[in-house]
Amino acid sequence: MRLPPQPDELLDRSHEVVFFFRGEPVRAFAGDTIGSALFASGRRVFSRSFKYHRPRGLVCCSGGCPNCMLTVDGTPNVRSCVEPVRDGAVVEPQNVLGSLDRDLLSVVDKVGRPFTPVGFYYRTMIRPRRLWPLYEKVLRNVAGLGRIDKHRGRTTRYDAEHRRVDVLVIGGGRSGLKAARAAAGRGESVLLVDENARRFGAEPFEIVAPGRALGIYEGGLVPIDAGRLLLRVRAGRIVVATGAVEQPLVFPGNDLVGVMLPDGARRLIRDFAVKPGERAVVLAADDRALAVVEDLARAGVETVASIDLREHDPSEISAEGRRGRLHAVSIEGVPHECDLLLAAGAPQPAYSLLAQAGARISYDADRGIFVPSELPEGVEAVGRVAGDLGRLRPTRACHGDGGFVCLCEDVAVKDLERALAEGFDSIELAKRYTTVTMGPCQGRMCHLPSIRIYAHAQGTDEAAIGTTTARPPWAPVKLGLLAGRTHEPAKLTAIHHRHEELGADIIWTGAWRRPHSYGDAPAEAKNVHDAVGVIDVSTLGKLLVAGPDAVEFLERLYPNRYADLKPGRVRYGVLSTDAGRIMDDGTVARLDDERFYVTTTSTGADSVLGWFEWWNAVWQLDVEIVNLTGALAALNVAGPQARELLAGLTATDLAAGGFKYLDAKEGRVAGVPCLMLRIGFVGELGYELHFASPYGEYLWDVLLERAAKPFGLEAQRILRLEKQHIIVGQDTDSESNVLDANMTWIAKLDKDDFVGKWAIEHAQERGPRELLVGFVMANGTVPAEGGQVVRDGRPSGRVTSARWSERVGKAIGLAWLPPDLAEEDATFEIRVNGRLEQARVRLRPFFDPAGERLKS
Amino acid sequence: MTELAFLSPGAARADDGLTPRQASPLARALAGSSGIRDLSLLGKIELRGEDPPALVDAIRITPDRALLLCEPERCAELLETLPGFAVDMTGALAGIELQDEALMRRLTDLDLSRLPAVGKVAGVPAIVAPRYRIFFAQEVGHSVVETVRDLQQGLA
Amino acid sequence: MTRRPRGAPSLRELTDYVYFRNNVAGVQREWWQHRFGCELWFLADRDTRTNEVLRVEVPGAAEVKAPTA
Repeated sequence: MRLPPQPDELLDRSHEVVFFFRGEPVRAFAGDTIGSALFASGRRVFSRSFKYHRPRGLVCCSGGCPNCMLTVDGTPNVRSCVEPVRDGAVVEPQNVLGSLDRDLLSVVDKVGRPFTPVGFYYRTMIRPRRLWPLYEKVLRNVAGLGRIDKHRGRTTRYDAEHRRVDVLVIGGGRSGLKAARAAAGRGESVLLVDENARRFGAEPFEIVAPGRALGIYEGGLVPIDAGRLLLRVRAGRIVVATGAVEQPLVFPGNDLVGVMLPDGARRLIRDFAVKPGERAVVLAADDRALAVVEDLARAGVETVASIDLREHDPSEISAEGRRGRLHAVSIEGVPHECDLLLAAGAPQPAYSLLAQAGARISYDADRGIFVPSELPEGVEAVGRVAGDLGRLRPTRACHGDGGFVCLCEDVAVKDLERALAEGFDSIELAKRYTTVTMGPCQGRMCHLPSIRIYAHAQGTDEAAIGTTTARPPWAPVKLGLLAGRTHEPAKLTAIHHRHEELGADIIWTGAWRRPHSYGDAPAEAKNVHDAVGVIDVSTLGKLLVAGPDAVEFLERLYPNRYADLKPGRVRYGVLSTDAGRIMDDGTVARLDDERFYVTTTSTGADSVLGWFEWWNAVWQLDVEIVNLTGALAALNVAGPQARELLAGLTATDLAAGGFKYLDAKEGRVAGVPCLMLRIGFVGELGYELHFASPYGEYLWDVLLERAAKPFGLEAQRILRLEKQHIIVGQDTDSESNVLDANMTWIAKLDKDDFVGKWAIEHAQERGPRELLVGFVMANGTVPAEGGQVVRDGRPSGRVTSARWSERVGKAIGLAWLPPDLAEEDATFEIRVNGRLEQARVRLRPFFDPAGERLKS
Repeated sequence: MTELAFLSPGAARADDGLTPRQASPLARALAGSSGIRDLSLLGKIELRGEDPPALVDAIRITPDRALLLCEPERCAELLETLPGFAVDMTGALAGIELQDEALMRRLTDLDLSRLPAVGKVAGVPAIVAPRYRIFFAQEVGHSVVETVRDLQQGLA
Repeated sequence: MTRRPRGAPSLRELTDYVYFRNNVAGVQREWWQHRFGCELWFLADRDTRTNEVLRVEVPGAAEVKAPTA
């Protein structure tokens, strides 16, 4: 029933709003919440409880408890008591079969309770296991909150924003506003957030309402849920003004519709001009709550009894109802007919954020509440949360035998007692076993009552029981908001779009996007053998190592020797860790006395750069390391016609005698300055051009116009496998060292010292456990990479790479084998598709073993 | 240092009928956008040393590293005359210029009142100079612009 | 602080160095890198119990105390 205009009401009666509940229109005023409008229209049952489907009504009217949760426009679990009305909003009940007033699932409450005590799911529904899917389906439909609309979740947009302020005030009540005004007056930048959509007057600072602070993290970081926006606020000072929450009393019948918190009734009357009932009984333990009697009188509600629990704390309270609706309360045997019972113990400071920040939470036995103290630097508490609550006294744990402790999870006093009897004697264990405080209210309504009950049952006090650890998020938050916008930074070479335009099949290698093939990898490989192909290798890591100590630096880091590398020459190198494992491989070209150009694998570039920079921080050598990975594009031009093609584009002498295999020269190609390296990963005559990346597309176009055909990663893999060139991370793993990987010549153990020397020496002494060798298949079956080598029925090795080679005419590969098998022509077996296939060891490259084509 | 010409886009020349053509790594990502200026083709030189010269246009990254912006044609001359260690990073870094502060607050956690700064922007390491010029590795440039444009939509 | 072995460590000493670290409840000297920024490597003395950084050192530069911000 709607009252005449109240002095501080939030309504704008000149502005009507119509929304729909179960398809029927509901009239409201602007300023109403969905809850207040439904209550004004006569609705009393707002939800059915989580487990037992008991009818529940409004209790707190401030977004704290779960009783008013409805599904609004497809969004589940909306606290209707604080949700502003909207024209056309579609509001539906949740977790009911039938209607709110006649929920068929309330059979669980009427007959199912003996079967569903606390923790019943730990003891039942175990066998037969094949019925688990059925159990799950039944439970999900019988108990729970709202349903998620998956389509909405995918199409709703959430953003995140960073903010910096001098002062963040959490809570827009009297104390919060006072603190915010004071800070603004001092010229500080202030942000005030309040968890509800409230009306504020003009203030000299920014207000975000609704805005829910989710937690207080290190560095003054407070994430705030502002609906579609996540505000990540960094504040110099945080003022917590989150107030205190009236705590429900525990007694039989305390969850009947019509039992409310005094503050809930006050809000209905003052904010929304709604009459909460006809006849009321008031039981409260602080001045503010007791004063609700005045509001009731103004609203025409008859108060038949009012008890100050500080003066007299009754031993027994019992609420009686008909079909879930309150009709009488019995206090120590004396009955009172009423349809409204406003009952609360002492208000408990909402200290969670402070606890998260590191404050100490201790029990004030005189007043019967937990209060925060010892706040960390930069965090303040003001107002009711700090304990500014007037005169208080503790009340009994239970008023009678029975009642609900946790409305969210339907945890009754009996459940806590049973948990204790079963040995879960600490409050943390009780919480996890009974799920008390684990529902939507997250303990606002039930944490203190549950602690009191536990203390009482164990004959100790609340201080001994303590509180459970407060953790973020402080309020339920949508995962979508935390996820925000997902952007996956892909790395693209300067030539990437040409690959797309050619219709290449683009794959991920690490964070890079690279062409796997342009449609026919074997044909691409054939073209490299017979004519000339070009591959975009811009993804290679590239480092400039320059300075008087450049040689010393490389000598200390690499097992290889570089001191004797002449300017204008390139040498393959393998980096090793202190444990002697292969970390990465690449080439080192000497540009002049003090400058080296180092390449790494595409996916290893970042870690090699970090490795180099860290070692230099340790050694402090006179050397600069510059990351040129993105600065330069790189193209590998390979095939018997490579020389001819490039000769037409450069003045540099490319003749076999002038530009030898493993030479490095600076020159110009098609007008673009290039570093040209004559190296050969793919085993044919080849030149790798490194040049400024803005010319990537230009030089690619020039080469393709001159009949070079593109080849991708798959063709490259076939070609390199024909030469038994390893790929670090494919053919080696985190346990492989250079000796076992068939590269004993890399480790120059006569060097004084290099990273990994000690481990490699130890490995040499011990001898290898396995060796990496090439093999051919007897019958052309290509084994899977990772395929097992089987010996005497047991796994004794593995295949790391395998392909069919058109040029070699066989299925070829690399595998790790036990040392006694790793001899030329030895046969072994590989499991392929469940059968054992024969393979034969080949220690030399399958194609052009002498490297004549490479060195031509 | 005038060698390492292969690093400098400015060192290319027309040759035998062929004219080298530079492309910005952001060209395609920026097509159809507004409010974003492409700085990728600006000349950029990284200076290192005990005390990189306090040049007017240099952005200090660390106590011993600075980024100097210039017209692309001037790179060669600057590289020759600058003391200490200098490397042409013109091709290494892509860059954009944004005006909108609200957009910046969605892109980065960096304190915008204390620029220049180095840190994460749009999920990648970046150098941010007032107001607001952002430089990052060219290979992630496309992704960065896609992110910026997506966040612009959120603000619209 | 973990110290790198000198000379030629035995297999045991090497394995200890490579694989084992003391789990310190107290102040520990650590290497940190500003990976998403300037890539600088530096040393920090951090109390693992409170996460407070007591001292910062950039190798090669003059000593810098931990900033209060």
